[in-house]
Amino acid sequence: MKKLMTNFLHWNANHRAVPLILFLLLTSNFITAQVKITGVVSDDKGMTIPGANISVVGSKNTASSDFDGKYSIDAPSNGTLVVSFIGFDSQKIAIAGKTKINISLKPSSEDLKEVVVIGYGTQKKKDVNGAISSVRSKDIENLKQVSIDQMLQGKAAGVSVTNNSGQPGGAASVRVRGTTSITGTNEPLYVIDGVPISGDATGKSTSGQTLAGKDGFSASGGSGNTAMSPLSMINPNDIESMDILKDASATAIYGSRGANGVIIITTKSGKKGGGKVSYENYTSFATVTNKLDVLNLSEYATLKTNLAKLWGFQTRQEFSHPELLGAGTNWQNEVYRTAISNSHQLSFSGAKDGTSYYLSGSYLDNEGTIINSGLKRYTVRLNLDSKIKSWLRVGGNLTGGITNERITVNQSYSGLISNTLLQSPDIPVRNIDGSFAGPPSSEQSVTYYNPVAEALTRDNKLVRKNFLGNVYAEADIFKGLKYRIEIAANTEFSENDDFRPSYAWGSQVNLLADLDVRRQNWYSTNIKNLLTYDRAFGKHKITLLAGQEANDSHWEGLIASAQGFKTNSIHTINLADVDNNTITQYKGSASLSSLFARIIYDFNDKYSITASIRQDVSSKFDPTTDNQKGVFNAISGSWKLSNESFMEGTRKYVDNIKFRVGYGETGNQQIPNNSYSAMLGTQNSGLGSGFLPSNYPNPDLVWESLNQTNLGIDFTLLNNKLSASFDVYDKKSKGFLFQVPLPLYLTGGGGQYGGVSAPYSNLGTMSNKGYDITVGYDLRSSGKFNWDASLVVSHYKNNLDEIANGIVLTQEVNTNGYQPVVVTNTTIGNPIGLFYGYKTDGIFKDQTVLNNAPIQFGQAVGTGAGETALGDVKYVDVNGDGKIDANDKTFIGNPHPKFTYGFTNNFKYKNVDLSIFLQGSYGNDVMNLTRRAGTTNASLYDNQLVEAMDYYSPTNTSSNNPRPIADSSNNNLLISDRYVEDGSYLRIQNITLGYSLPQDVISKYKISRLRLYGSAQNLYTFTNYSGYDPEIGSFNQNVLLSGIDNGRYPVARTFLIGLNLEF
Amino acid sequence: MKKKSFLNRYSLLFVAVAFLTFGSCQDDFTDRPSEDGISLDSYYSTDDQVSSATNGMYSRTWFQMYNKFWWALEVGSGNMYSGSPDVSGLRTFSLNGSDPELVNGWSSLWANVQQSNMIINFLAARVGSGVSKDVLNNTIGEAYFMRATAYFDLVRLWGPVPIIENPLDYTSNPYVNTNPVEDIYKLITSDYLKAIDLLVAKNRGTNYANNGHVSKGSAKAMLAKAYLYQKDYAKARAMAEEVINSGEFKLLGGDQLPGKSFGDLFTYANNNNEESIFAIQWKGDGAYGSANNCNTQFGFQDGTLSTSNASYAGVFGPSQEVMLSLYGAGDLRKHETVMIGGDTYPNIKTTQGIGFTVPSGKDLAQASGGAIKKYCIGVVNGNVTGQADGWAMMDNNTYVMRYAELLLIHAEAVLAGGASTSDASALSSINAVRKRAGLAALTSITFDDIFLERRKELCFEGDYWFDLGRIDKAKAIAIMSAQNRGDRYGERHYTPVYSEDHATNDFYMDYPDNEVAKNPKLLQAPVPYTFK
Repeated sequence: MKKLMTNFLHWNANHRAVPLILFLLLTSNFITAQVKITGVVSDDKGMTIPGANISVVGSKNTASSDFDGKYSIDAPSNGTLVVSFIGFDSQKIAIAGKTKINISLKPSSEDLKEVVVIGYGTQKKKDVNGAISSVRSKDIENLKQVSIDQMLQGKAAGVSVTNNSGQPGGAASVRVRGTTSITGTNEPLYVIDGVPISGDATGKSTSGQTLAGKDGFSASGGSGNTAMSPLSMINPNDIESMDILKDASATAIYGSRGANGVIIITTKSGKKGGGKVSYENYTSFATVTNKLDVLNLSEYATLKTNLAKLWGFQTRQEFSHPELLGAGTNWQNEVYRTAISNSHQLSFSGAKDGTSYYLSGSYLDNEGTIINSGLKRYTVRLNLDSKIKSWLRVGGNLTGGITNERITVNQSYSGLISNTLLQSPDIPVRNIDGSFAGPPSSEQSVTYYNPVAEALTRDNKLVRKNFLGNVYAEADIFKGLKYRIEIAANTEFSENDDFRPSYAWGSQVNLLADLDVRRQNWYSTNIKNLLTYDRAFGKHKITLLAGQEANDSHWEGLIASAQGFKTNSIHTINLADVDNNTITQYKGSASLSSLFARIIYDFNDKYSITASIRQDVSSKFDPTTDNQKGVFNAISGSWKLSNESFMEGTRKYVDNIKFRVGYGETGNQQIPNNSYSAMLGTQNSGLGSGFLPSNYPNPDLVWESLNQTNLGIDFTLLNNKLSASFDVYDKKSKGFLFQVPLPLYLTGGGGQYGGVSAPYSNLGTMSNKGYDITVGYDLRSSGKFNWDASLVVSHYKNNLDEIANGIVLTQEVNTNGYQPVVVTNTTIGNPIGLFYGYKTDGIFKDQTVLNNAPIQFGQAVGTGAGETALGDVKYVDVNGDGKIDANDKTFIGNPHPKFTYGFTNNFKYKNVDLSIFLQGSYGNDVMNLTRRAGTTNASLYDNQLVEAMDYYSPTNTSSNNPRPIADSSNNNLLISDRYVEDGSYLRIQNITLGYSLPQDVISKYKISRLRLYGSAQNLYTFTNYSGYDPEIGSFNQNVLLSGIDNGRYPVARTFLIGLNLEF
Repeated sequence: MKKKSFLNRYSLLFVAVAFLTFGSCQDDFTDRPSEDGISLDSYYSTDDQVSSATNGMYSRTWFQMYNKFWWALEVGSGNMYSGSPDVSGLRTFSLNGSDPELVNGWSSLWANVQQSNMIINFLAARVGSGVSKDVLNNTIGEAYFMRATAYFDLVRLWGPVPIIENPLDYTSNPYVNTNPVEDIYKLITSDYLKAIDLLVAKNRGTNYANNGHVSKGSAKAMLAKAYLYQKDYAKARAMAEEVINSGEFKLLGGDQLPGKSFGDLFTYANNNNEESIFAIQWKGDGAYGSANNCNTQFGFQDGTLSTSNASYAGVFGPSQEVMLSLYGAGDLRKHETVMIGGDTYPNIKTTQGIGFTVPSGKDLAQASGGAIKKYCIGVVNGNVTGQADGWAMMDNNTYVMRYAELLLIHAEAVLAGGASTSDASALSSINAVRKRAGLAALTSITFDDIFLERRKELCFEGDYWFDLGRIDKAKAIAIMSAQNRGDRYGERHYTPVYSEDHATNDFYMDYPDNEVAKNPKLLQAPVPYTFK
């Protein structure tokens, strides 16, 4: 708006106003001393302000500053000028004979002038009717994370972020106001400079193919956590702001893709003033925060000898004197390292003559704390914006990123973390000849491998090359009306080579080296046409938007496997045994076509209404029906109480009070392609290939729709020192999309094993109710010391309201030893993804109690195999039918936190700045399957946690841990509350101490800023959780598998030092 | 402040054009048929497409059944021994419904039922006019054959299960009751009869590539077994005799094929030989679950000597009984069934080259002191073994039924529950099997003779658990409690508990826990099925 005004006035001045000015100049001598006054309007930092209004007191003369802030006006030489601009205090200046007056306006209030991005437009924060949280670059500049999603943690109310893996480049789970849907990933839609990017790290709604990882033994995670963050390609340093649209009245303009919230990311642009060069460098040192207490060799020998005796197996000769054995191999020490990382960032920016530019490059070398894991990233960015005509602005944002990752398998029984914890300490890392060691006898280990050998010889690389950019043109058509066209494209090429060499680690021999090669690429194009009409008529202000958007994405990939390499040193398929190569390809596309409109009406800066409507047509649904079309409406309004005249008296304390109310609808369509029709899947046999139906079709599939009501209040008090926002919401997802969890007798295990996969269906209703609180305090001191703090608290309560036919939504994960077990269940009236298993009541220690207890799993009381004896877990007869069986399974824990919070404190004293950021979660449970695997006591050859040595036996009746049974699916190991722990934590996430060299020192060298800083990340975590880290996240972004610790790559503690340099 | 100029009109026009352009191509724009898959409705227009429709039902659909669960049953029967905690539940009769291999077996059988149903219910309506009736019939016949075979396993393992003839009837309401065992056998019988009607007649010749698909004879042979389980001896005998008289199958190494031997049955080169009635046709294709896992699970690894392409071998070993006392002297089958210290196998390749001698006094597979030979074909050795896939699985067939068993079924059907028989045809059948094994002919046979012959002939082929399940329970329990279920270091004995109420250990498996959780009706009393 402001620029538009300038244009007209500028144009006016140059053309139409010329005769008038001439006339005034000619006549001035006869009246009073009219003089032409010129100057520049700028803000307190020297940035010029275009479109500022300049008027002469007592006269109708007005002018407006042009694009460069210049103005010129005729006024009496003894008159007074009034200069005003939105967001700034107006200023009166006596002319006093001067002809050149430069005016510096002071911002009326930091917060009131803040502009937020609302989707296809911007709005002043004070005018926004929806619930929007904003994170600025200064809020996150101290957090040195690989990807931006991780940096949102604890920074925005209503946004919960958990890191799914400590692996560099691993995906995070971002939830805007709880879990919305149980299908797909629940990740929000990211819009980076107008380019939509799905937060889906698993590719489920596109190709269904992960970027890396071969699917192994089962669909439930044989290959572990394979999700790769789609945002790890973006350099966080390039980001200017992130605006998180939370309630549906705000997101409805994104229609079908807005259900999980929308995070709009704006990258930096050049600022007015001379060119600026910024350089930042840091070096960091990361270590795992803690190690688990596993058995050393002498403890191991003692335990295994006792177990062998207990079970009647042969004891091992070499273990006959455990006290003489040393500590053996400490696998954790061998596998974890101090990871050293390095980052360089360089940017050039500036703005001149209507053109602003921002050019940056970055290099990041991020080592993982597990040996041989890490990520390197190279990015470049160019943002350009130019006003090439008075009525036309063009620009573009182009970025390229290349990442090079070394991947570690984690969150899986075959993963490196499990191997590290459970590999026995009697095996050395290397043999005397330097080769990797393994168990000497094949009896001793089948499941676990030398993790050091695994980490160092398995070559699993992922290279991603991402190019993303848009170009736009914006034309002023007539007063208030703007037309904008934006064309964006995003493409990524990824290469994953996973080479598993042939080896002989002791008795573990891999004769044939394997190589899996994945070459995948996708691209999407996005085109937008927007018409915006923005005008004020007296006290009425109106903004209209009409737009069209089309999104088209395509993906393709080749996956080849080869075997039988003659050498381990070169990893290409041509060197493999030609008879054993297999190759497969996939390909597909999806599209979305949309029309939308929005109106924002404001009366007298007191009352405001926003209404929007969007229609989406999606290729995910049956094209022969009307199901493709979805319409999403929203309406919201606000009342600025503080602007009412009766509030005059409070102005001393109250700057702003605003009430907001909104309702909106959004949708979700993140399901695999062609779910509406039945597809044939290739199934091979010795008789040749054939095709079998691979899924049950559902032509009735439609959008999942989400309705949300939001109530909010914003206020700022005490000269903007104290600010707060409070929002409550009620969110309801209707007909959420989910693959119907049919019993196996209908699916046969799904298409993967030749069965028929269950259909996707609009299954039920889920609701989330919650509140978000943001409180900020800023001393706003102009002196030596300043302090500001902000606290964000988020709470949601999730509930499954209804589901078709009472379908059971149990979910499995693979535990150690090839065994998928059910760990969560989701039922009506409860939050989704609750831990599910048996309740326990200690163990049986009294024969009478045992004899009178309900029969457990049909087992007679006795000491034989398959019988219940003293020392067995005493399960609770939940349904009271007098026996313990599968019907007694119940909810045993809740992974949803009661609330999450973040608390940021920034201190500044002279040239020293200190920032302390605390973040945490309260009231959530974690299922510790790593501890389960570490206490099974079911095998003679895997290592265990130290606590496994304490088990019930006739000579150790005080123990509360069950007796060992030599069967890894024995009843004592059933998923039960024994493995559920409190996952609450408070983490000192970041402390940064910086020192900026005094201006008078550095200015000699033409440097405008030189800051040195040191920082500690993830410094300490206060928690009762016994595993590595209570922050677990979701397994492959599956919301029904949250808070399950199955050998997760732990997040490291990082110390870093760095410098910022600007000149 | 009047604002109008030439550029405005052009901009408006441009905007209008842009909106029209992108707004109007919507219909096509959002129609995205699959680019890498075939839609069910647009296939099956040629004979070749129809006849290959069942190909996948010869391997992948059976994988989870004929993988570790199958051998876990052999651990249960006392033929195999394993201490590996994922497959040894039945060694101590403590298998429960949460056992993942049990779930896999259940799942696989239902995959076969539902894929068969898809063909039985929908294929005829989807074929093009160019497809010949015979081809269509044969394909549907194969589907009936597969469904009956899957239900035959289901009923023998779990007893009452739901009869599902069309899964689409249940996708929106999957909560079915189970149906009684008699009804399931009725379905099995009717399916095999339809298969006999629809399938082509065949003669298994020396071109093994043509022998893979099942035939009328295959269905008759399977039906003979199903009749035997129902103790309908007359029909069992009639079916078996139809098969014998047709001359479709021959014993490999029997009188008609003297150039081959019992050992040749279990090699890759003899996939689909003349004796094969129905076999799983594995084909490694890069996906997990396409090929035969036997070679990694059987055999042994001793130091650097290994018969497996994987980093491990011998997850299953022979039981002490099978190794030490099952086979009498002179029984040629012993060397081809189980490896014992000192045995030599000159043709099998190991990690140390072609030909090896089994080490003596070593643990070998599972500390059994020996290893399983049957289905173990060794390290990849060109055309002798075929290839191994990424999980070291190979392409040697797995028998579901072979002619030797049909001959033993025939003998038993002739005995017809009697104490003993000297019937010439019964003797001819059992003695043909014995002769190939290098054993003397019998002149009179009892049930126990046949029962023992079955165990020796079909050892490790997954049948003995079912045999134990169909005889008198007290007798079966006596047999199993007497078995040595330990390893070479120690003898172990376990007693199965049999109960009618399904509450404690018996010969029926528990329904998978997760299935019960989804449909508690599985635990209710079976409800008679209404056949359409």
